[in-house]
Amino acid sequence: MSQWLEQVVERAEQANLTGPRLQALTALKQQRWPTRKTEAWRYTSVTPIEQLSLSSVQTIRANATDIDGLDSLDLVFIDGVLQQSLAALTLPAGLTIQPLSALSDEEQTAASLFGQIKPAHHIFGLVNDVLAEQGLIIDVAPGADITQPIRIINLSSQGQESHVRMVVRLGEQSRLCVIEQGEGQDPSLHTAFAEYQIGPHAHLEHYRLALHTAKAVQVGGNHFRLLENAELNSTLVAFGSDLSRLDVDIEHAGEHAHAKFNAIYLLGSGETFDLHSCIEHAVPNGTTEENARGIVGDRAKAVFNGRIHIHRHAQKTLAELNNRNLLLSRRGQINTKPELEIYADDVKCAHGATIAEIEEKALYYLLSRGISRSQALIMLNFGFIQELINQIPNGAIATWLQEKLKDKFSQMEVK
Amino acid sequence: MLKIHNLHAKVEDKTILKGLSLEIKPGEVHAIMGPNGAGKSTLGYVLSGRDGYEVIDGQVELKGKDLLELETEERAREGLFLAFQYPVEIPGVSNMEFMKESVNAMREARGEEPLSAAEFLKKAKEACKQVHLPLDFLKRGVNEGFSGGEKKRNEIMQMILLEPSLCILDESDSGLDIDALQVVADGVNSQRSPERSFIVVTHYQRLLDYIKPDFVHILADGKIVKSGDASLALEVEKEGYAWLGGKAQEADA
Amino acid sequence: MSEQIEQALSRKYEAGFVSDIESETFAAGLDEEVIRKISAMKNEPEWLLEWRLKAFESWQKMEEPEWAHLHYPKIDYQAISYYSAPKSMKDKPKSLDEVDPELLRTYEKLGIPLYEQQMLAGVAVDAVFDSVSVVTTFREKLEEAGVIFCPISEAVHRFPELVKKYLGTVVPRSDNYFAALNSAVFTDGSFVYIPKGVRSPMELSTYFRINEQNTGQFERTLIVADEGSYVSYLEGCTAPQRDENQLHAAVVELVALDNAKIKYSTVQNWYPGDENGKGGIYNFVTKRGICHTNAHISWTQVETGSAITWKYPSCILKGDNSVGEFYSVALARGKQQADTGTKMIHLGKNTKSTIISKGISAGDANNAYRGLVQMGPNSDGARNFTQCDSLLIGDQCGAHTFPYIESRNPSAIVEHEATTSKVSDEQLFLCQQRGLDAEKAVSMIVNGFCKEVFKELPMEFAVEAGKLLEISLEGSVG
Repeated sequence: MSQWLEQVVERAEQANLTGPRLQALTALKQQRWPTRKTEAWRYTSVTPIEQLSLSSVQTIRANATDIDGLDSLDLVFIDGVLQQSLAALTLPAGLTIQPLSALSDEEQTAASLFGQIKPAHHIFGLVNDVLAEQGLIIDVAPGADITQPIRIINLSSQGQESHVRMVVRLGEQSRLCVIEQGEGQDPSLHTAFAEYQIGPHAHLEHYRLALHTAKAVQVGGNHFRLLENAELNSTLVAFGSDLSRLDVDIEHAGEHAHAKFNAIYLLGSGETFDLHSCIEHAVPNGTTEENARGIVGDRAKAVFNGRIHIHRHAQKTLAELNNRNLLLSRRGQINTKPELEIYADDVKCAHGATIAEIEEKALYYLLSRGISRSQALIMLNFGFIQELINQIPNGAIATWLQEKLKDKFSQMEVK
Repeated sequence: MLKIHNLHAKVEDKTILKGLSLEIKPGEVHAIMGPNGAGKSTLGYVLSGRDGYEVIDGQVELKGKDLLELETEERAREGLFLAFQYPVEIPGVSNMEFMKESVNAMREARGEEPLSAAEFLKKAKEACKQVHLPLDFLKRGVNEGFSGGEKKRNEIMQMILLEPSLCILDESDSGLDIDALQVVADGVNSQRSPERSFIVVTHYQRLLDYIKPDFVHILADGKIVKSGDASLALEVEKEGYAWLGGKAQEADA
Repeated sequence: MSEQIEQALSRKYEAGFVSDIESETFAAGLDEEVIRKISAMKNEPEWLLEWRLKAFESWQKMEEPEWAHLHYPKIDYQAISYYSAPKSMKDKPKSLDEVDPELLRTYEKLGIPLYEQQMLAGVAVDAVFDSVSVVTTFREKLEEAGVIFCPISEAVHRFPELVKKYLGTVVPRSDNYFAALNSAVFTDGSFVYIPKGVRSPMELSTYFRINEQNTGQFERTLIVADEGSYVSYLEGCTAPQRDENQLHAAVVELVALDNAKIKYSTVQNWYPGDENGKGGIYNFVTKRGICHTNAHISWTQVETGSAITWKYPSCILKGDNSVGEFYSVALARGKQQADTGTKMIHLGKNTKSTIISKGISAGDANNAYRGLVQMGPNSDGARNFTQCDSLLIGDQCGAHTFPYIESRNPSAIVEHEATTSKVSDEQLFLCQQRGLDAEKAVSMIVNGFCKEVFKELPMEFAVEAGKLLEISLEGSVG
């Protein structure tokens, strides 16, 4: 066990945990600290966590990036502490937001939401279970259509470590849009996990923007549980840092649910981003489409692991996963592993993965119209992720992202 | 406008152009006809400077400049425009963004100010209308999901926007029905002027009913084997390429 | 309709008979002494014994790998006999006439007559029975061309320089758990050397047969194709129907020097166990080839047998412009489990690899493709294309795909695609409506599904593979 993990356990033991959190602690103590031999951490090293020395650094308060034109209800956590009073918020009808502590141990257990983040994938779910003191429980009443997006901003200040947990439950036929935005100063450590239950015929529009860079270490994940006819449309955008890792699990627990998950990663300098996604089709008639696209430049490293698991009896499932990558630099690397595990015969499943360079034909076409080589390369590279940006339902986010990514891209080395 | 002298070019290890010479004056329309495999498309690629098309001998001057010394994009900025036979699809890059970059690159080369977004949009809309493309084509990815005819019209729209001095139309008629052909031809004809020259590459005479050429050349086995006026095209229409001899026929098969 | 499939899937294993041959078999168990005894039986030089002992030392420190998508009870390595040979082989028969007629009958029954005049012209055969090579045909004809094709135990004596130079260079003796075990106890196998610029005048093939009870088979094959040479090599395997599991842990090493080409084809039909999963071969095989400049290695495999298959024929594309190919059909039915695939390691510039994998799962079987495509930092212009297709027959089986793709070169291009499909009721109905019975229809659909791979097999093998698949699928239809 690593020193870092020992400290986590020590802190948790002093906190007199009860209920599910105590169970998590017991489980955590049985976990092995991941190494390169741990399959889920094969390409990503956790040493940046072990080597992070946070206490010695002067704290500078972080500020959140603004998204123009996004009329959202913002809830801001700085270093794991909510900056507003929930009681003082005026919320639209049908929407309730409570602090994590509002649920008793029994309610937590009954909600069977905590503990969905599987330690097998990633030990940091358990770390978050035992360390996250603050967080939110967001409930949407059946039939409620919440038009104003809710944005949860997690800021990590320089030298700080923070852990936030969120539970979101959408009642039958309700609608909600949630944006999880994370940013961290250099250096910092942040874990953020969110568990979503999307009720029958409910619709969740979801964004996870992991804008951590440099030495802002972040590990986190999302678990989505879809009941009958539920719909999920989720977009993940990540830059990379010394260590940036997200696990996204999508579980089809009710029939005829539809999940769409797009991920964009744009990595430069020495950044690492590691995305593990796991689509579980436990019941028949579900559909999933997942598209992950990344551009890797400089000395950056992208890791993608996308698993589709079709359980026995999950007949008539349609699941497609596609991962495409552009590697721009000789010093960069891409590791991708799309996986299929299928136990039902009447399904349509496919995955594809490519690592490629810009097509010569496309480049020539742009050059023949007088566009300079460097500009043409930028346009083509960017066009590659633009396709996913074009699918973002929220116009303000799409516009903002486009600029943000362009800005980041212009700083990257293009051959 | 354009002087080609004794041009030899190869692709990989195969020599395709074997001593092609041609001179085009401002305002002229030259048609190049010939059997498949004669090197018609290669000529467009060589003139525009596509990678992999290597000039092994000969000279090409565009408006007095040594064309072969220039990069692909520099040739375009000198006013050379190639309308592709098979335009490539570029998903994610919108037609609008693409053309704006391109138009402004040309303007910059001519020492003009870039167009503002509004000015560009106005021009682009007009060009779109001229080739009967719905306006939403500007927002779509370059050629993405366009039909064959829409791709060809998109090429002509680009030509209208870029105002080149030499246009090479590479089989812009192939795969078009008569209505689409009319649209393409109208687009081209609207751009004819005393300062602008055209090379119309085609396998069939049909297009030349709509775009009247001043000269017609027959290209076979990498060389111009016969030149004449518009009547030569009609002759070809009637007699095919058989008279060129076995070699060209083979290439045609 | 799927009931019909189930019925059709009930197996028939035609090679399941036992030959009544008197054998000399070591007592079960493995220690240094056993290794010394194996080495002594073969009258091996000291260096090879040392090599074996070092491999054994590493093996003892290693752990059996658990990452594969396979479930089987722990293997008791002390319950296996590591050497068994027909008694009649003791005094080394000089010619075919001196070979025990029962042995010859065994191979005849398997469709592999060892009399040269009866054989398919153009195929030389090395027959390996339990731990020893029984006979190698057409040797003289091959030696005229300079081609060496003989049991590896013999090559150790006749061509010690060649064996010493290449043995363990592609699969090091402690490469993995099963390779280390093989290095310690391998008993026989084939050795092939094709001299510079020579095109082997005929196909070479080895037929492996496990006969004796409670024995393991650990053969080792080494093929060296010198500069500019070409060889096509075929490998077939069968075993009797027995109730207990038998271990097969082979190693195959291929060396393709500059401009050489090796085509290696396998039809693996080890006994797969009965319908309840009782018995069957545990097949843990390490196959790997190294390609030097402009060299080409092509692996083709049709895997229908074995209770457990753990096998990843791989290519190290070391030389510039070298080419690696992997064409695979893996059929798992009943309680069979297969975890098979390939590794393509691109080190040189402009290296190319193609992977076509067709997995068929039926009954309660699980079939996994596991592959690695690695583009090294210097693999400028390298290309890989991978297509993995799975066909499921019935709703109790599993089909899995685990491709690892790693790139460190911006000009390398990797494309991977995977799909799954089933034999649909509509397809079956159409065939039946046109007068085909369900069994024939499934066999036709499956054959069509595998066509891309079958066309890579040498003619005689392609026919055999098609038939094998048909037999294996008998009763598997709805």
